[in-house]
Amino acid sequence: MPRVFITGLGFVTSIGNDAESVASSLREMRHGFELYPPFQKPDIACKVVGTIKGFSTDSVDPEDWTWPAGYEIKRETIRSMAPHGLFAHCAFLQAVKDARLQEADVSNRDTGLFAASGGSPMLTYYHHDRMLKLGPARCSPLGIVASIVGTLNFNLTAAFRIQGASTGFSSACASSAHAMAYAFEEISRGRQKRMFVVGGEDGNLGAILPFAGMRTLSNQTDPNLASRPFDAGRDGFVGTGGGVVVVLEGEDEVARRGVEAYCEMLGWGQASDGYNVAISHPDGTGSRIAMENAFAATGVAPAQVEYVNAHATSTLIGDVSEARALRSAFTDKGARPAISSTKALTGHGLSLAGAMEVGFCALAMRRGFTPGSAHITHLDPECEGLNIIRSTIPQGPKVVLKNSSGFGGANVAILLGRS
Amino acid sequence: MSDPVQSNLGGGKPFPLATKPFAPDDEAALREALKRCSPSTFEAAVQFRKTGNADHMPAVVIGVIERFVEPDLRTKLKDAGDDLRLIEDLGIDSLTMMEIVILVEDVLQLSINNDELRNLRTVGDVKTFIDCKIRGLPLPRPTKFLPIEHIGAVMPVQPPFLFLNEASVSSTGANGKYKITGQEFFLQGHFKDNPVMPASIMLEALGQLAVLFLLEGAPTEPGKMIGSNTIFFTGCEGVRAHRMCKPGDILTLSIKPKRMKMPLATFEGAIRVGQEKAVIAEDITLTFAFVESTVAPASIEGAAQAGNGEASANPPLRVAMNA
Repeated sequence: MPRVFITGLGFVTSIGNDAESVASSLREMRHGFELYPPFQKPDIACKVVGTIKGFSTDSVDPEDWTWPAGYEIKRETIRSMAPHGLFAHCAFLQAVKDARLQEADVSNRDTGLFAASGGSPMLTYYHHDRMLKLGPARCSPLGIVASIVGTLNFNLTAAFRIQGASTGFSSACASSAHAMAYAFEEISRGRQKRMFVVGGEDGNLGAILPFAGMRTLSNQTDPNLASRPFDAGRDGFVGTGGGVVVVLEGEDEVARRGVEAYCEMLGWGQASDGYNVAISHPDGTGSRIAMENAFAATGVAPAQVEYVNAHATSTLIGDVSEARALRSAFTDKGARPAISSTKALTGHGLSLAGAMEVGFCALAMRRGFTPGSAHITHLDPECEGLNIIRSTIPQGPKVVLKNSSGFGGANVAILLGRS
Repeated sequence: MSDPVQSNLGGGKPFPLATKPFAPDDEAALREALKRCSPSTFEAAVQFRKTGNADHMPAVVIGVIERFVEPDLRTKLKDAGDDLRLIEDLGIDSLTMMEIVILVEDVLQLSINNDELRNLRTVGDVKTFIDCKIRGLPLPRPTKFLPIEHIGAVMPVQPPFLFLNEASVSSTGANGKYKITGQEFFLQGHFKDNPVMPASIMLEALGQLAVLFLLEGAPTEPGKMIGSNTIFFTGCEGVRAHRMCKPGDILTLSIKPKRMKMPLATFEGAIRVGQEKAVIAEDITLTFAFVESTVAPASIEGAAQAGNGEASANPPLRVAMNA
């Protein structure tokens, strides 16, 4: 069974649009939050968003969009994209460069792409509204591929001429962790030699505000307080978007190309709560079993894990569930890994979250630091017994566990290692 | 999910002539719709919407096509004639063609059925098509691309005196190509040790293209067809030769009908080699006659069907819907 390594990363996130700035934001615990102009209305209680800087994608017409210098993207490519397609396209270009891949390495039968996004509610709404008002004849022929769930894999697979496996994953906030997991399977089962794992979200009003209906968004008006996973005063998550690309390669490819890997992806596990469509199990049962399955699949012992990048989104129920899961998976086994949630800095990237945070872990492992959990003033008593680090540790972890959970009670745990 | 080519997106509604007065609101909407087109495109569209004068239509259509063509290919659109091909020359794929159509529909306030789009292969096809829609004329037959086998089968002239390798015929004219091989029998003596294509033969080639137009593109009367053995040369005026043509040169020939009235058809013709003018003829007049179309469906309709069949085998507007 070939081993699988992370060899390239690309980031367009609220805390930076390249690996360098993302690494320094994580290390220095600098958040990416702003008062989001479309939310500054009396009837919208939520005010803060983890905004993407340097891009302008407010228009429903991609030809109005702007992006940072250095990315050349043709009209023909961008016309079928959602905003997160643009973010991920830029991240993809970064990842290709970072992994030192040539064009022929990207486009061949042994290289695939798995992606995850929630689609583009903004564009779905726009195109439907236009169809109902003006009739289908006045609708853009590309409205569908720009807006439905899957838009990310359609667009990137075509734009980069991917010839191997390609599909999308939809398990809400566990989606891109699932994409990562099954990309690992493609390589470790010898079906593909290289996989691009892509996460993306628009992170705009259409993508975030519907969660206000669930009362899961933070209504904090202070960007420094809005996202504070594990803090007793947390009041919901802060939404964010962006695009992240992680390059996975089998050991033969890593050796053949002579590249330095960020870390190894050791394996993964998953389990479902079997409990509620939107509420996580109070005891974090599914999350715990997912972690146990990851340990079983890889032979890693809980005590070997030095850092857990938690799913914790800063919601009242979710953070407690995960804390309980972590207690049974680690504390009860005598293990005490450092734990933090980087969502305190980025906000919750929904479908993007898993891939984004695996990217953060890989970056931290290579660059030798462990990011702290920001914005905690009063630790939730439920977190007692857990080593939640409130500041960055200047050493990189050797073994990392990354948790992700999504609607329906889906849970994924991914293990990474660096010798 | 349905295939948009199959579904009747245009609705096939009859084109509503611009009867509604052009309000300031309309102008604002038009400006927004054409915001990425040249100012002259917008001006032409305003004039069209105000007056209904179809003369403004080509500027609108070309302006809209230009807006969707990648910037580095736009110069082609400026210099080239109506035979510029949408897919091969301008890189316009079927989805872009739909974007063009939707914008044209919006701007000119007309409705285009998908079936009508499939045979639009050149800029000229598009202009003619829109013009017919606006004027309420029957739609022209699409441009037919004729390989040498087809040309040989319909032409009264045969090798070694046939000077067309390939041709395309539309309702507005015909284009063809001929490569001077150097093996042509008359080059042995024209001239001694210096093979030059005779100007008279170049005129002959233009005449042959005009014959092909009469047989494949010209309008006929019901139940009649132009008899291939009724067509003869009658006269030629305003001929100028600009460039010697020698073996290896590829002649690009074009003819356009100027007048057609039984029994005479007059064409203007030109031959280029690359971008260089080689020969022009202001008037080439042929005589022709109608015959009973005993095999009319095979010759006219059949040819049109062959064109359609070809189009469906390799349709220029095949929308790639893998959904």
